[in-house]
Amino acid sequence: MTYSNSRADLRLAIYRQLAATGEVHTPASLAAEFEISPTEAAAELKLLASEDDAIVLLPDSPYIWMAEPFSAVATDYKVTAKDGRHWFGNCIWDALAIGALLDTETEVETRCPFSNEALTLSTNAGELSGSTSAVVQFAVPARDWWKSIGFS
Amino acid sequence: MQLFRSEVDVQAWSECTGQPIGACFELAKLWTLARTWYDDRLDLDWRRRNIAERQALLTAAGLTGPFWELG
Repeated sequence: MTYSNSRADLRLAIYRQLAATGEVHTPASLAAEFEISPTEAAAELKLLASEDDAIVLLPDSPYIWMAEPFSAVATDYKVTAKDGRHWFGNCIWDALAIGALLDTETEVETRCPFSNEALTLSTNAGELSGSTSAVVQFAVPARDWWKSIGFS
Repeated sequence: MQLFRSEVDVQAWSECTGQPIGACFELAKLWTLARTWYDDRLDLDWRRRNIAERQALLTAAGLTGPFWELG
C-alpha cells in the first residue's frame, strides 16, 4: 500500500465511521484500526489537514474538528436520522448536506440567531420541507471562506 | 453561514451585533448547493475540487456575482 493510498483509506475510514455512528476517530482509534502507532496516526491526520485539505483539526491539536460537512463538536445545527443516528453540521449549509451525502431522511434543528425561534427542516431525497421561509445569511465573501473556516 | 427566521431578523441581528450582513438569500438555493458540494466525500478517490469546479457548483445553485467569486 503506498503512502498516499494509506492516507486516502484513513480519510475514508474517518468519514465512514462518522456516517455510520456519528462518532469521530482519534489518533488512538485510527492507530488501532490501521495497525500504526498513535504518533503516526497523528502525523497522518496533520497531513490530511495541511496537504489534502480534507479535514480541519482543532487548533494546536491532533484531534478532528471538522470533516465537512460533519462537525466533531456540538453546534447549533443538529441533524437526526430516522433511525436515531445524529450528527452536527458546521453551519446550516453543512447540516443540510449531511442527509444528501448519506442519502437518508433527516431532520435539521437550529434556532434563529436573533429571535432564537426554533427552525426545523426535513430533508428527504431531493425534497426540503419545514421552516422553508427562513433565509440564509453568509457574512464572509466566498474568496475568504477558508481564511477562517471556523468563523465562516 | 446562519439560518434566520426572516430578512427582518437578519437586519435586526446585524444592527444589534455590528456584524455585516454579507449575503442574504432564500433557502432553496442553499438546498441546491448542499446536495452537490459534498457529494464525493464518501468516495475513496476524493480530492478537493479546484476553484473552477467549486465555482461551477455555486453558479448552478444560482449564487453568482462578486460576493460568490472564489478567486
